[in-house]
Amino acid sequence: MPDVQFSWIDGSIVGLYFVVAIAAGLSVRKYVGKVDEFLVAGREMDIYVGIASLAATEFGIVTCMSAAELGFKHGFAGATAGILGAAAMFLIGWTGFCIKPLRDAGVITVAELLEVRFGARIRWLSGLVIVLGGLLNMGVFLRAGGDFLVIVCGFSPDYLEITMTAMLIAVGVYTIVGGMLSVLVTDYLQFVVMSVGMLAVTVLTLWYVPWSQLTTVVEEHYGAGGFNPLANENLGWTHVIFQALLNASAMLTWQTIIARLLSARDTKTGQKVYMRTSFFYACQFIIPGIWGIAALATLDPEVLTQLAADKNEAHAMPYFLATTAWPIGLTGVLVAAMLAADMSTDSSYLLTWGSVIYNDLLAPFRKTQWSEKRGLRWNRTIVALIGVFLLFYGLWYPLKHGIWIYLSVTGTIYLASMSTLLIASCYWKRANNWGAAAAIVVGAVLPIAHLVAEQLPATEKLAHQIGIERTGIATFVAAGVAMVVGSYLKLAVKGAGDVQPR
Amino acid sequence: MFSPADFWLAMIVACIIWFSTVTVYVAIRGAMDIRQMLKRLEQRHQEQKRAEDSSP
Repeated sequence: MPDVQFSWIDGSIVGLYFVVAIAAGLSVRKYVGKVDEFLVAGREMDIYVGIASLAATEFGIVTCMSAAELGFKHGFAGATAGILGAAAMFLIGWTGFCIKPLRDAGVITVAELLEVRFGARIRWLSGLVIVLGGLLNMGVFLRAGGDFLVIVCGFSPDYLEITMTAMLIAVGVYTIVGGMLSVLVTDYLQFVVMSVGMLAVTVLTLWYVPWSQLTTVVEEHYGAGGFNPLANENLGWTHVIFQALLNASAMLTWQTIIARLLSARDTKTGQKVYMRTSFFYACQFIIPGIWGIAALATLDPEVLTQLAADKNEAHAMPYFLATTAWPIGLTGVLVAAMLAADMSTDSSYLLTWGSVIYNDLLAPFRKTQWSEKRGLRWNRTIVALIGVFLLFYGLWYPLKHGIWIYLSVTGTIYLASMSTLLIASCYWKRANNWGAAAAIVVGAVLPIAHLVAEQLPATEKLAHQIGIERTGIATFVAAGVAMVVGSYLKLAVKGAGDVQPR
Repeated sequence: MFSPADFWLAMIVACIIWFSTVTVYVAIRGAMDIRQMLKRLEQRHQEQKRAEDSSP
């Protein structure tokens, strides 16, 4: 255990933040009387609360740890994914590519829009892969958050489960009660706390660890590859292409991002939220990346060797934060900031995947109109059940590679197929349900097969040789090919006049 | 000569300036947005209640 700097003053700051955040979340419960108020805040979200919410949601402890891990393992080049994400989001917001027809349709989920073009079965199948990919992706959030807090606060590792459970209960309570409204209000508060904490720590990190020391340590460990992803032997073209595909598809179809677009007052507001939040995606990789590089520059060589031996490089940044002598109270602000980041992410993700289960997976069981009360009860139950799943999955699943790699692969399970379906439904007239079904199956099977292969001793080596990024690129290409082949196959079999799904 | 390290330094400076500006701006305008959003929802609830009360 490192000699941590967390004191009672820091603990008081964290405790105060915790109480205020939960109180703010619970305070808006009286405005939630209908399902659309619970799921999309009655579509009353404006630009600035949208920016705060989107930024806070997409940056959690898991993102922070994964970005810092990329900085620690690859130097500045590790932040390439963030720059690609920022560029993709700005371009999509600026042009309205896919997101304009999506918001104009007035739907709650991407799958709901797909039903219009491809039929009810494709909507259900889409909902299934969205939930599968989303929940697997979210499965490591609690553990990453728990690990971070345990290290930075200097708790015994035995308290990991208790820390995870406490975080989940706190987030679950206000999300279940207030839905998207609680999420928006707490996201706003969390954005402010998170930003202040991150900026203060970053400025002080650059003060304590001079720029020349950061560049020297990156040069020593990674050479030119620490600055240029194409010159980095562990990144290269495959990393850049996969991250470009992944980020562009996430901006189009990742349900937690799309939920902000769909909660916006109108399409223009949604596009503005996209454009004005885009640079945050670069920040969320570059800023923790600096912390990761600072850890590489300042941690004891024995600690670095141990972290590498245990394949625990993600813990380097929390060790750096825990052992640095910050001004009194700053560790508390930092922990509150990270807690804010994590709570906003967890609450949004709980609600978002719950909305897909309710809106798309349960759609066939809602043949008759459910009362608002019944709809709300179901939504709240689903959110609670997702929370229980996360707790058990987070404790059980062993991460074989870095956190970002895991997030990328699980995200690909649905991003590859859903982005293909969305683009085809908006812009390709010949697309039909055969192509859609083929794209969904292919898009899910390849990444799941890779995840399973790397857990089995017999195939672990093969999975490692192929590499997660090659599997990811292949998945995107295969989903596109499947959509084209499947659609033309139906046209050939059924004829051009009979391609409607229903 | 603009080196790769200079590029990353420029990105870091841009991140800090952009992030601090957006934080202050969003903190102020976001609070106003939330107030307006809750006000509209309150009005909507009142209108619905009035409509329910007036319906036979």
